[in-house]
Amino acid sequence: MTEGLPRQMLRRQWRGVELRLLAAALLLAITTVTGISLFVDRLERALVLEASAFLAADRRLEGREAPPAAWEADAQAQGLATARTLSFSSMAFSDLEALLVSVQAVSPTYPLRGILKTAKDPYAPGTPETQTPAPGTVWVEPRVLLTLGLELGATLDLGAASFRIDRVLTATPDQGGAFLLAPRVLMALEDVPATQVVRPGARVSHALLLAGPEPALERFREALPEDLEARFDFEDVRSGNRSLGRALERAERFLRLGGLMAVILACLAVGLAATRFAHQQADTVAVLKTLGSPSGRIRRLYLGQLFQLAGLVTLVALALAYAVQAGLFQLLSAYVPVTLPPPGWAPLVLGAGTGWVCLLAFALPPILRLEAVSPVRVLRRDLAGLGPQGPVLRFAGVGTLLALLFWYAGSFELAGWVLLGLGGTGTLFAVLALALLRSGRVLGMQAGKAWRLGLAALSRRQGASVVQMLVFGAALMLLLTLTALRGSLLDSWRAQLPEGSPNYFVLNLDSADRTAFSDALEDLAVAPQPAFPMTRGRITAVNGNALDPRAGRAAARLTEERNLSWSGALPEGNEVVAGRWWDETAPAPGLSLEADFAESVGLALGDELVLEVGDQRFEVPLVALRRVAWDSLRPNFFIVLSPGLLAERDATYLTSFFLDAAQASRLPELLRAFPSVSIIAIDGLLNQLQQIIARVSLAVEVVLVLVLLAGALVLLASIQSSMDERLAEYGLLRALGGTRRRLLGALTIEFATLGVFAGLLAALGASVIIWALETQLFGLPQQSHGALWLWGPALGLATILSLGLGATRKVVQVAPLRVLREHGA
Amino acid sequence: MEEDLPIILSAKGLGKRLSLGDNTLTILSGIDLEIKAGESLALVGASGSGKTTLLGLLAGLDTPSEGEVTFEGQPFSGESEDTRARRRAESIAFVFQNFQLLGALTALENVMIPLELAGRGDAKGLAQSYLERVGLADRAGHTPRQLSGGEQQRVALARAFAAQPRLLFADEPTGNLDQATGRRIADLLFTLNAEAGTTLVLVTHDLGLAARCDRALTLEGGRLRVTEADAS
Repeated sequence: MTEGLPRQMLRRQWRGVELRLLAAALLLAITTVTGISLFVDRLERALVLEASAFLAADRRLEGREAPPAAWEADAQAQGLATARTLSFSSMAFSDLEALLVSVQAVSPTYPLRGILKTAKDPYAPGTPETQTPAPGTVWVEPRVLLTLGLELGATLDLGAASFRIDRVLTATPDQGGAFLLAPRVLMALEDVPATQVVRPGARVSHALLLAGPEPALERFREALPEDLEARFDFEDVRSGNRSLGRALERAERFLRLGGLMAVILACLAVGLAATRFAHQQADTVAVLKTLGSPSGRIRRLYLGQLFQLAGLVTLVALALAYAVQAGLFQLLSAYVPVTLPPPGWAPLVLGAGTGWVCLLAFALPPILRLEAVSPVRVLRRDLAGLGPQGPVLRFAGVGTLLALLFWYAGSFELAGWVLLGLGGTGTLFAVLALALLRSGRVLGMQAGKAWRLGLAALSRRQGASVVQMLVFGAALMLLLTLTALRGSLLDSWRAQLPEGSPNYFVLNLDSADRTAFSDALEDLAVAPQPAFPMTRGRITAVNGNALDPRAGRAAARLTEERNLSWSGALPEGNEVVAGRWWDETAPAPGLSLEADFAESVGLALGDELVLEVGDQRFEVPLVALRRVAWDSLRPNFFIVLSPGLLAERDATYLTSFFLDAAQASRLPELLRAFPSVSIIAIDGLLNQLQQIIARVSLAVEVVLVLVLLAGALVLLASIQSSMDERLAEYGLLRALGGTRRRLLGALTIEFATLGVFAGLLAALGASVIIWALETQLFGLPQQSHGALWLWGPALGLATILSLGLGATRKVVQVAPLRVLREHGA
Repeated sequence: MEEDLPIILSAKGLGKRLSLGDNTLTILSGIDLEIKAGESLALVGASGSGKTTLLGLLAGLDTPSEGEVTFEGQPFSGESEDTRARRRAESIAFVFQNFQLLGALTALENVMIPLELAGRGDAKGLAQSYLERVGLADRAGHTPRQLSGGEQQRVALARAFAAQPRLLFADEPTGNLDQATGRRIADLLFTLNAEAGTTLVLVTHDLGLAARCDRALTLEGGRLRVTEADAS
């Protein structure tokens, strides 16, 4: 056989539906996988980039002392971008007044991620800023100007130095991390010595900011000394912001899950199409063998065709996937304000790799079985089909699917749950599908002619029908699972940030001003939220042992001065996980800590703690550990005391309120009426969170559409598998006088029944998987998904009926004689 | 018939059984026959008498349950499938009832396949000339679907004779054709066969066609019965 025969046959066979279907399955497999990977990759990078803005960096090394210059040099040698910040509190003075401000001194490269925004007017919206304050100048938050009665260009004194106020600071990327008591002042790092404010022992926070590729960041982290934790915090996006960290983790899991579902469906489609192609080629192989072709040549002939086809398809698919994701991002560019990083090569390699793995595991086995076709098939077609499937080939698909599953899931837990869901429901499905088919057959016997014909067709191909119901059901189940999960994930995200969540925090509210402030809020038609007393204090001894902050990281964290509060009732959004909350009406002296904090500093229930608040010192037992909903954006405290230990006059109050954007212009009134009060807008933080959630839902929609396409292809491939048989049957029925109308009716009944049955199975499977994923993996409260039982059968009916009739229309259109001649043998 | 012609194909004690669950179905048993080079032999019999199964065993397309086939003095039925395939490529050709052309290839390419499998040079030229001999030179670029049944069988004849085989098996070559076309195809088959001096084994239930062969053997219930034509 000439070497050109594979290409010749490929070209000729392209005219047949089998090869096109195989090519389409492979094309969709690679396009879907690559498209999802490209999209997820870019979106993940955008999400991380956006989330990094909360840290103003990818990583943040923070401590009471400056991180050594050698570390910064080391980071730069690794190719990382670096910046330094120094934060401290100081009094700022105008000619007449003084105000406590929170100063952040930054190096010129700050921020490494996210953007600074400034304005020329205290109430103008901010515009992005590419510089940092020039030496000798400061940028200040509007409150500094309002409280001190200053304007832009005026002089502000900080310690021993004077600065010109150059800009109004409206947003800094890392503002979400801390609710500062004092308004913020941004200055150049090199100006700090001149202020003479930062002296040894002063309470300052140094940070080295790092940004760059993940491997370099990892290398940098590994090179740091082991006792790092004693002196520094090494934060990434997740540890830096809990609620965001969890949201990101869920988003990544979800996108991976979507990718995984698409891979499974694509593999199914490729396997079905290849099996169909192999069955179609059995006759050709028998003729070639009869004419004297040995098995080796048959193998080379078909592998040649398969690989030539796959090579071509891969190129087209990669280009298509690239175009699709580029087009998607182009469409979305208006809604995606950050500049997206360009897609990398990795997704292309991943997509093509997955496509070929899928090809080798699912298309190769049926193709290899071709060489075992006996030449006697030219005489007796019914005698000799494809060769047997060896154990290696049989497990190639399953093994590869498992490997892909773990690879894509990136976690044994996720892969395990998906596998359990698929395997368990698969077995159950087969049993139920059989039962449904049998019941359908019984019903069909009592029904009209078209019904009898349609239902008989289903049960005559019982094996194929069960397999089709399994495949349809599985595809539908995945779709339902994704849709329902997407809904419940988004609902739970939204539930974390309900409409009307407070968008302003009020600090420094004097106990004497509480009533007046509440009245002022009511004048603005704003409902005030509960107010919490707040003061600052520190733990100085545990069980009679005085703590030395230099003794280690835990002692340092413990002795740090912190905000603390007291309350009779357990604050909303808090849950006692160990110990007992005090009696609300007659509280015994006690103290409650946030559970993770207590664990990290090594405190346990029953420990006697000495607390120092101002000039007061008292001993109090640790009686309760709390879990705190940090996502809630309510005021939360690590340390809460029982009431009665501190007098009301010792504290200022912390409260919050929601003010809609239309009324924001009335804030200055409030500020002027209560000059000592600090009002912090957390709109920025909320907006950032909501943008991320919106983008995550967008990614989910796209993944869903791609999975839907893969599912449709599986349907088509599976219907094509039964085409020969259908053509022969319907050809015969038409030759015997069956009208087109009746046969079309029978086809409609067949596919509608198949769709409804598959939909019922899908609803059942999805319910089980969703329950498992929601309660066991994502940690969401259990939700009711009754709509699945409506959507499953409805979607099954609509999809399978339209695809089924579309694909089988030919059986009632082609002339019966031709059908019988070609397929009746 | 000349007595000193060499025996090209022989079968001894040939049988074929199929197991269907617990039952064994005997399709052929105790077949002994010898075919001389250049001879034309008809295998006739009713449907289900085992004609086609016998042809499959003689041509090495299938393996017997008992007995053996010898081709050109060499063991044939006991050889591996690839060895049998190679010997078919060298010496054996086929014409089938349902033509068995490869739908993906043109008429010319179909004729070229056995030539290429046998490693002949100028496969294309040879194939072209045989297409001319069956009167289809102008249809060389057409695929089987674009040809009528009679035309497809003529391509199959071109494919069979182009390889210049020493042995040709024909399985009901006119069975799928109308009477007039069938007669023309049979004429063409016997003409080409006479020109090439090929040994012909023809399976048919058409006694008229069988009568055009040198001798005929009748199969009944999987066993050979001596016929009048043979006895004469």
